[in-house]
Amino acid sequence: MTAPAPAPAPADVRSVLPRLLTTLAPYQAAVVRIGTAGTWGAYLLREWGNRRVLYGDRSPWSAELNDRLLADTHAFTALSWSDGRWWFEAVYLLALLSAGAVALGWRTRASTVLFALTVLSLQNRNVFLGDGGDNLVHLMAIYLVFTRCGAVWSLDARRRARRPGRDPAEWGEPRALADALAAMLHNCAMLVIAVQVVLVYATAGWYKVQGSRWQDGTAVFYPLQLDYFTPWPELSGLLGGSLLVTFVLTYGTVVMQVGFPFSLAARRLKNVLLAVMVVEHLAIALLLGLPFFSLAMVSADAVFLPTAFLLAVQGRAAGWWAARRAGRTAGETAGETARPVDAEVEPVGGADG
Amino acid sequence: MSAVRVWSKPARVVLVVAGVGLGACVLAFLGALFLHVAPANSLSKEYRTQVDRLVYPEFEQNWKLFAPDPLQRNVAVDARVQSIGPDGTVVTGDWHGLSAEDWAAIRHDPAPSHRDQNLLRRAWDFYESTHGEGDARAVPGSRGQLAERYLERIALQRIVSAGGRVIQVQLRVTVTAVAPPAWSREQVDTAPHVRELPWWPVQPEDGKGLS
Repeated sequence: MTAPAPAPAPADVRSVLPRLLTTLAPYQAAVVRIGTAGTWGAYLLREWGNRRVLYGDRSPWSAELNDRLLADTHAFTALSWSDGRWWFEAVYLLALLSAGAVALGWRTRASTVLFALTVLSLQNRNVFLGDGGDNLVHLMAIYLVFTRCGAVWSLDARRRARRPGRDPAEWGEPRALADALAAMLHNCAMLVIAVQVVLVYATAGWYKVQGSRWQDGTAVFYPLQLDYFTPWPELSGLLGGSLLVTFVLTYGTVVMQVGFPFSLAARRLKNVLLAVMVVEHLAIALLLGLPFFSLAMVSADAVFLPTAFLLAVQGRAAGWWAARRAGRTAGETAGETARPVDAEVEPVGGADG
Repeated sequence: MSAVRVWSKPARVVLVVAGVGLGACVLAFLGALFLHVAPANSLSKEYRTQVDRLVYPEFEQNWKLFAPDPLQRNVAVDARVQSIGPDGTVVTGDWHGLSAEDWAAIRHDPAPSHRDQNLLRRAWDFYESTHGEGDARAVPGSRGQLAERYLERIALQRIVSAGGRVIQVQLRVTVTAVAPPAWSREQVDTAPHVRELPWWPVQPEDGKGLS
C-alpha cells in the first residue's frame, strides 16, 4: 500500500511501532470508500424501478419465505422488522442517502455504519439476487466501518481544514490515546481489506488452475456464449472467434490472478498487474454486462494503488479545479491558478472520522 | 504527527493490550477466511464449526469466479399455468419463456438489472442445489420447498392469466450445451435437453403481494 517497510533491525522496531499508532494509507482508504459507496449507490439508482420486486413488498421471494431462511441463517436485515411497503421504501431511500454520504465523506463514521446496515438489510432480504460484486460490497461495507476512510478526500476533511482543532502535539494523554486506538483499529481494518482482496484473487486463480477449460485455453470463450452474460452478442462472438485472443485472455487471467498476491512483494510488478486488472474488469463490465461487479472489484483493488499515484491524481484534480475557478472569475484572481491544495489534505490523524 | 509522543506507563499498557488483542483478532479472522476459501483440508475440518460460525452469515466468500470451469450450457426456464373458469372449465395456458424474457431484456443494455440477470437464474440454481436427481417435491420445511415456492411465485408474477383462477403451475427447463469454438475439433452434443417438472398446485394465497 504505502512505501515498503525496510526490514526492521531491532533498533528500527522502536521507530516503526509509533507509526502503527498513526492512520496509515489514508488515500487508499478514501478510494475504497468512494468506490464502494459509489458502486452501491449507482446500483441502487439503476434498480430504482425494480426495487420493490427485488427487495420489497412485490418480491417473489416473499418476506415469509425469507423469514423461514433467516430463522436458519440468522443474517441481519432490518427489512424483516416489518413487511410494509413504506418501511421498505424508507430503508431503500436511507440506503441511497447513506451511500451518497459515504462517497462524499460526510460525517463519515456515522455514515459508514448506516451504509453497512442498509447494505446488509437489502442484500439479506434476498440472498439469491447477488453476484460476486454484491458479495464484495457487503464485506467492504462492514470493513469500512472500522477505518478512518474520511481522513482525506471528504467533506469531513474539508471541514476540519477550514476549522482546524488543536495541534495534536498539544492533546492531553486521554485524547491522544483514543486517537491512537482509533488509528490502530483503522490499520487493522485496512490490513483486513488488503488480505480480503488477495483472498479474492488467490481463490479465483487457484481454483481456475484446476479447471480443464482454463488448462486447454478455451475458458474465456464460454461465458461469451451464455445468454445471461451477452448484452452484445456480436462483440462477444467476435472476441471468442479468435483462437489466439481467447488463449491469451484465458492464460493471462489465470497467471494474473494466481500471481497477483506474490507480486505484492515487487512494487513495480504489482502496479503493472493492477493496471492490467483494471483494464480486464472494464472489459468484463462491457462484454458480460457486469458493470457493478466490475466497479466493486476495481474499488477493492484500489487498496493497492500507490500513494504517489493517488497524490498525483489529487494534484491534477486540484489544478483543474483551480483553473476552472480562475477561469470563471477571470482577472480578479490572477496569481491563484495552480495553487497546491495541501490545506485539503491534512490533518490525517484527526480525532474522529 | 511529527514529534513522537512519550506515553505514561498506564497508557503504554493500554496500547500494548489493545495492540495484542487487535492483532490476535485480525489473525483469527483472516485465518478463518483462509480456511473457508481453501479446499477442504485437515485443519479446516478440525475447526469447521468455529470457521462456519465466523464466516456465516455475513462474511461469506464466493470467489470461484468462473472456476474451476465456466458454465458451458445455457439453461432456459419456461412456465405455464392451468386455470379454472367460473363455469368450472379448466384451461392450460401456453408455455411462457421466462429466461427468454430475461435475455431479451439484457440484450443491448450496458447495465443489466439484477431482476433480469440474476433473479430467475439464481432461483433456478437454488432449486437445482436443493433437488438432487429427479424433480420429486421437497420435504415440507426444507430449503428445497423454499426453492419451489420461490420459482412458483416467479412464474405467477410473470404470467398474466388469461382469466379464471390459477390452480396449477408447471415449469420446464431446456439445457443446451454451448458449441465449442469454431477452431476447436471437439465434438459436443448441442441438442437441447428438455425436462418437464411436475405440476405444482397453487393456493390463492401463493400469489400474495406479487402485483
